[in-house]
Amino acid sequence: MHPSNVGRIGLYLYGILILAFLYLPLVAIGFASVSTSRYLSFPIRQYTTQWYAQALESGTVSDLLWISLQVAAIVTVISMVLGFFGALAFARYQWRYRRLYQKLILLPIFFPQSVLGLALLMWFNAVGITPTWHTAIIAHLVWIAPIATLIIAIRAYSFDPALEEAARDMGCSTWQILREVTLPLLMPGVVAAGLFSFLLSWGNFPLSLFTTGADLTLPEWLYAKMVSGYSPLVPTVGMLSVAASIVLVAIALALPPLINRFTRNSSD
Amino acid sequence: MNIAAPVRLPAGKADLSRQAEALRPTHMNAQPILRVVDLKKTFDGFTALDSVNLTVDDGEFLAIVGPSGSGKTTLIRLLVGMEEQTSGEIWLRDSRIDNVPANKRPTCMVFQSLALFPHRSVGENIEFPLKIRGVDPALRRARALELLDLVRLPQHYYGKRIQQCSGGERQRVALARALAFDPEILFFDEPLSALDFRLRKMLEKELKDLHQRTGKTFIYITHSLEEAMVMSDRIAIMRSGRFEQLGPAEEIYAKPKSRFVAEFMGEVNLFRANGNGGTVSFEHVTVDPAAAAKRGLRPGFSGDLMARPESVRLLKPGERADVMATGIVESEYLLGSRVQYLVRLASGYKVTVELSRENRVTWEPGQSMGVGFDLDRAHLIQEA
Amino acid sequence: MERINQRLGVLSALPVVVFLAAGFLAPLCVVAAFSIMPQKVFSLANLPDFSSYALMIQEGYWESLLVSLAMAFAATFILFVICWPLAFAMAKVFGRFTLVLTIGVVMTLFVSENIRLFGWVLTLMKGGLIEGYWRSWTGQSFDGLLYNVPVIIFGLVYVYLPFMLFPLAQGIAMVPDDARQAAFDLGANRWQIFREVELPLSAPGIAVGCLITFVLTAGAIAESKLLGGRAVIVISDEIERSFTYGQNWPLGSALAMTLIAVVGSFAIFGVTRIDLDAIMGRKR
Repeated sequence: MHPSNVGRIGLYLYGILILAFLYLPLVAIGFASVSTSRYLSFPIRQYTTQWYAQALESGTVSDLLWISLQVAAIVTVISMVLGFFGALAFARYQWRYRRLYQKLILLPIFFPQSVLGLALLMWFNAVGITPTWHTAIIAHLVWIAPIATLIIAIRAYSFDPALEEAARDMGCSTWQILREVTLPLLMPGVVAAGLFSFLLSWGNFPLSLFTTGADLTLPEWLYAKMVSGYSPLVPTVGMLSVAASIVLVAIALALPPLINRFTRNSSD
Repeated sequence: MNIAAPVRLPAGKADLSRQAEALRPTHMNAQPILRVVDLKKTFDGFTALDSVNLTVDDGEFLAIVGPSGSGKTTLIRLLVGMEEQTSGEIWLRDSRIDNVPANKRPTCMVFQSLALFPHRSVGENIEFPLKIRGVDPALRRARALELLDLVRLPQHYYGKRIQQCSGGERQRVALARALAFDPEILFFDEPLSALDFRLRKMLEKELKDLHQRTGKTFIYITHSLEEAMVMSDRIAIMRSGRFEQLGPAEEIYAKPKSRFVAEFMGEVNLFRANGNGGTVSFEHVTVDPAAAAKRGLRPGFSGDLMARPESVRLLKPGERADVMATGIVESEYLLGSRVQYLVRLASGYKVTVELSRENRVTWEPGQSMGVGFDLDRAHLIQEA
Repeated sequence: MERINQRLGVLSALPVVVFLAAGFLAPLCVVAAFSIMPQKVFSLANLPDFSSYALMIQEGYWESLLVSLAMAFAATFILFVICWPLAFAMAKVFGRFTLVLTIGVVMTLFVSENIRLFGWVLTLMKGGLIEGYWRSWTGQSFDGLLYNVPVIIFGLVYVYLPFMLFPLAQGIAMVPDDARQAAFDLGANRWQIFREVELPLSAPGIAVGCLITFVLTAGAIAESKLLGGRAVIVISDEIERSFTYGQNWPLGSALAMTLIAVVGSFAIFGVTRIDLDAIMGRKR
């Protein structure tokens, strides 16, 4: 019982429509970023790349990029490690409090982020920590580490526990099993989790807003500019940030086939 | 007490001669390699294994057969150390191993899913247990190539990916990997169950052959009786966490100890003894008193009279047998070299008769026909 | 094995549990503690009272909560209707296109919510993408489409679409083709198949999708600020303003606790009824 051809085509069109809907605002930003006029109005009469040149030269923008990059990179590394072990506890090992633990992992994801950011701000205040971009790393991790855990857990669910049992049967210690069997098999999940962690941290605003103190990340700066009146740099820097994400995803998608080809050649 | 598997490497010629020597069945003059005493396992109040006792000789091929849920998987997981027993003891030669974790036991299992590592090549899979023991890469490789030979895979499979291997080839790789471990006892958890019929038949014979050539002790669990009969020296029938019967295949087939074993071991005709009074009689059939006396059947016998379909014949008019009945032929099934008839007796009981093809008879639907068998081809199951 | 599993489970859960205890549960306790402090204090070293909760009821802050919940409900319902056909197609009809769609949708998640909503501002405002081109083609002008309640709900639908789409697709993927075909074979029409087979069998995915969307939209703030121009004040906005302009941490905490209580009871109610292992594709 498959949908008729008309139904099929309808569904494809619908899918494309939804994608268009999701990307339309980015198209608007793209247009805005190349509009000459300082006060944006469609249709755009003259195109320019001056705002990009200005953004790339700006010291503020490069500072923002640097802070955002550091936060995202550190969040990525830590959430990969936390997520790897967290996923094993989530999906692989049958232990007594697993169900409870699974719910604990889900809670931060289900939590309104702005409230979470405020809660963390009060917590830092209560224990006497001055918020800087270092504290933002903690805030991001509260939300991102559980997501990384879930992503790796999906991979962990789909592998046969007999593989670990077989390794143990053949004399592996627990560490050897982790190194020789579990980690290599979960690796695609760990890499995907790393990618997600980086990008989610890179684009995060609500958590950063309350937890970076005097420092600013890219999304925070954009927001500040947005609410304080239009600036052509907003769409420009926005587009740059989107472009950075796209480049990273493109690399991530292109790498596995390349690595595969390379290893296949070398093994023959 | 060091019971970790010895690294018998380099394997080389000595190993090959060991294999040659092992070509004769070694279990004939063997001593016990495995002793299981009162082994018990309960999961949350459910008794999966109920006081199992077992002695396995060195070099034996033992099959453990039972329906699903009979406890055979639990038993094998206890033996290799992947579960812990509730009570009881497991002895390997002179050492007690039931408190030794799986990775320190000199036993190895071929999993139902085979558990080949998908991220490693065929060669790396086979070498895995040697790598874990820290064996030198060159020696590892030599041994892996030797094992490829042993399981009849070409040498160039060494670099192949597991995903490129067929079902049968994977089976051989899993076997080679287990042999590379050089276990004292090799366990099998229904590894052939996922294969198609013809491949399974072929691998059954190869496995038996490999058992002879390596001289290792094999313990094989399966729910398929045929598989067990083809390969093993002895068969253990499991039911509800216990051994129902343990013995050579022939004995289990011809002389089952219970109705359960009789029925589990293929098609069978069973006639329950009537408990009443001074004569020996069975349900559905008439038994010749003289033959019964000669067979040693005494009045008051309680239990079943068992006849395999191939022991029962269709009687020509006037022909006699020790045990007889009359019924109506219901259907005929051609089984290739054999032919089966289903005969419905007046009581409603259906007798299965199996003849070789040349003895096939012509019959009309509803035709009355005598069936019978002699007591020397029947077996008596005494009720416990 | 059970004992090893037990030990390994505890050990591997430990890092993330310790982290979440310090970074998530502890801050929640601080919020809870602040919510029973007297007005406008910035330290927990005060005598507790319930003045914040009283103020919340007297000053009508609960209305914001109702607004948020109503909009969350509307957004969740609309998203379910919009996403079902697409989720169905992703799970059962599309082949490679599912991958394209998945990557396409996930990519948008990586772009800051602000930037995407700002894009909608540029699209919908007077002189924006839509009105601007409309005016230049037809010569007729109309007011921007921003700053009202429907556009806030529109923004919620836009931002939270992936959170409904993927769980739904996962849920529908759990419906065996056999079951649908059997129902079809037994004479069910498309609607009956949906109601009798697909809906009940994909219930876990539906529950997760609706739950996560509802919870996140109820706590959303940027849509009402950027697109709605504060046409209505949502609860998260009230919370934020209590902390920033209002400088009243206890009031903000009390509002946050109320939001957490309402949303949390939904979440806990749902999560305890879902077999996570089954949804996430356990093999055994």
